[in-house]
Amino acid sequence: MSALAGHALALRGLTKRYGAFTAVDDVSLEVAQGQFLTLLGPSGSGKTTILMAVAGFVAPSAGTVLLDGGDITPLPPEKRDFGMVFQGYALFPHMSVADNVAFPLRVRGMSRADRDAKVRAALDLVQLQKFTDRLPRQLSGGQQQRVALARALVFDPKLLLLDEPLSALDKKLRAELQEELKALHRRIGRTFVNVTHDQEEALSLSDTIAILNHGKLVQIGDPNGLYERPRTRFVADFLGKSNFLEGTVRTRMAEGFLLEAGPVQLRVHGAGPAEGTRALLSLRPEKLALLAEGETADNVVEGTIRAWSYLGAGSSLVVATEHLGEIRAVLPAWKSSIDPAEGLRVRLGWAADAAVPVEEDAA
Amino acid sequence: MHGTYGAGPFGRGLAWATALYLLLPILIVVPVALTDQRYLSLPKDGISLRHFETVLTSPEWLGSIWQSFTIAIAASALSVVAGTLCAIGCWRVSRRSTDIVRVLMLLPLIIPSIVYAIGLYRYFGPLGLLDRFLGVVIAHGVTGIPYVVITVSTALATFDPRLEQAARGMGASLFQTLRWVILPRIMPGIFSGAIFAFIHSWDELVMVLFIASRDVFTLPRRIWDGINENLDPAMAAVAVLLIVFTLSLLLADRALRRRSEAG
Repeated sequence: MSALAGHALALRGLTKRYGAFTAVDDVSLEVAQGQFLTLLGPSGSGKTTILMAVAGFVAPSAGTVLLDGGDITPLPPEKRDFGMVFQGYALFPHMSVADNVAFPLRVRGMSRADRDAKVRAALDLVQLQKFTDRLPRQLSGGQQQRVALARALVFDPKLLLLDEPLSALDKKLRAELQEELKALHRRIGRTFVNVTHDQEEALSLSDTIAILNHGKLVQIGDPNGLYERPRTRFVADFLGKSNFLEGTVRTRMAEGFLLEAGPVQLRVHGAGPAEGTRALLSLRPEKLALLAEGETADNVVEGTIRAWSYLGAGSSLVVATEHLGEIRAVLPAWKSSIDPAEGLRVRLGWAADAAVPVEEDAA
Repeated sequence: MHGTYGAGPFGRGLAWATALYLLLPILIVVPVALTDQRYLSLPKDGISLRHFETVLTSPEWLGSIWQSFTIAIAASALSVVAGTLCAIGCWRVSRRSTDIVRVLMLLPLIIPSIVYAIGLYRYFGPLGLLDRFLGVVIAHGVTGIPYVVITVSTALATFDPRLEQAARGMGASLFQTLRWVILPRIMPGIFSGAIFAFIHSWDELVMVLFIASRDVFTLPRRIWDGINENLDPAMAAVAVLLIVFTLSLLLADRALRRRSEAG
C-alpha cells in the first residue's frame, strides 16, 4: 500500500436531532492529516451518531462535515471513499475472506488481476495471507476484525472510520489488537477516526481524544493533557478514576491557592477560581501516598480504611476521612508499608500539584 | 424428546388419530390409482398400472399437465419478482406505512378465493383476459405474491442491516448492494417463496373455474370435470402424480433450507 498523506477532517456545528431528542449538539472539531482521533463517551453520548454522520449514513440536522476544507455533508456514503470497520465487523458471510476484501475494488470495476494484487497486499498488512479462502465464520474474532480492517483499507480510503472495533473481543486479545492497530496507523499514515466507550483503549491509541456527553463535546485534547488536566468533573470521572474534593477558595498565593474544606486547608497549585468562590478538585487515586510515621506532604489527611481490594499490581483503598468524605487511593503493592485491613488508621498525603480544579458539569 | 416425560396413552392416541386423519385421504388415492377396475374403486383381482398409462398417453391429460406447468412457472416468476421487490422495499423503507403495505400484500391469502374469482371475472371480461393463458398467469401470479412476501420478509428479518451499510460505505451502488449482498443472503427465502407460489398456482381451481373455460384447461380443472362427468380412475392416477410432484418440491425446499442453515 502506498504511503499517502492522510486527509484532514473538520466538523462545524454538527447537530442531529431525532424529534425532540438532540443526539448530537453543536459539535465542532478538527482532525489533522494522519491523526488518530477517538470519540469517547458513555452510551448515548452521540459518539456513534457523529461517526455515522462523517460516514454519510446519518444526515445532520445542522452543521457541516469538511474534508480538506471541502464540504462533503451532502454526499451519500458511497461517494465519500471512507473505509469503515463496523461494530461486529459486518463481514459478508457468504463471501470468502478474499472476496470480502475485494468487494470495495469490485464495486469500483477494477480488473481481476489488479484486484488480486491489492487484496494480497491488504491481507499481508494484517497478516492474514493464509486465510484467503476461508469464510468469515471459520475465523476467530480477532481474525475477523483484521479482515474487516483489510477490507476497509484495501481501496486507499481517505479516512478510516472505526466503530467500537475491539469491543467484541476478550480483554487480552483487545490489548494485542490495540497495539497492532496503533502500529498500523503509524505505518500507513492515514487519518483514523475511532469510536469507543473504553477509556483505556482511547488513552493508548489516540493522538487526540474528544470526550462527549449528552451529545455535547466536553473536552478535546491529547490523552495526557486530558488525563492530567480534565476540565470538568465528568471528564475526570470518565477518563480514569478520580476523587473529588469540594471547598471554598481562600488565600491566593503566588503558585496557587488554599482550599478550605471545613476545618481542613488544602494547598493547591495552579490557577484556580476567584477567592471566596466554591471550587471542586479532582485528585487521581494513584497520586496519593501512604505516609509513614513522621513523614509529611503538602497535604495530609487521616482516616480509617473502610474497604480495600488487592489488584495484583497494587491495592486500592477506600479511606473514610472526617472532613473530606471517602477518598480512594491506589498504592503500588511492591512498596506498600502496611498490610491493609478494614478499620486500620492511615495517613494519606499528596503534593500541591497533584489535585487540579475542575468545573461542575452543566446540568 | 430427551429428558422429558412422554405423552400419556390418551394424548398419544389422539396424536396418531390426527396424523391418520390428515394422511389417509391422501394415501387412499394410491390403491385407487392402482385399481384394475374401470371405475373409481379399490383393486379387486390385482393391481394394474393401466390408469397411469391412460394418463400418460392421453393428449388431454398431457395437455392439461403441460398447461398447468407453464402457467405455474410463469405465475411463480411473476410472484417472485413482485413479492421480492415488495419485501425488500418494505424492509428498506420500514415505516408504519410499509406495515400497511405488507398487510395489503397478504390480502389474497385472507380473502376467500371465490370472492377474488368473482372480482377477476368482472374485471378480466372487458380486458379480454378471460380464458387466456395471460389472464390465468396474472390471477395466479398476483395471488401467489403473499407467499413470496412472507418468506422473503422472514429471510430479511435475519439479514444484518449493517451488511448493507457496509456495502454502501465501501462505495457500492444500490443495485450492486442488491445483487452482491442482499440477494445472495435471502436466496433461500426467495426460493421457498417460489416453490409455494408454484404449488399455489399448480393446484388452484376456484379462480380457474371462473376465468377460464375451454382454451385454458388446467390440471385441477380437468380432475374437477372428470369427477363431475365420469368416475375414471385416471384421476386417482393423476392425483398420485401430483402428490409425488408436490412432495418432491417440498423436499427440495427442505434440503435447500437445511443447506443454507448449515451454510
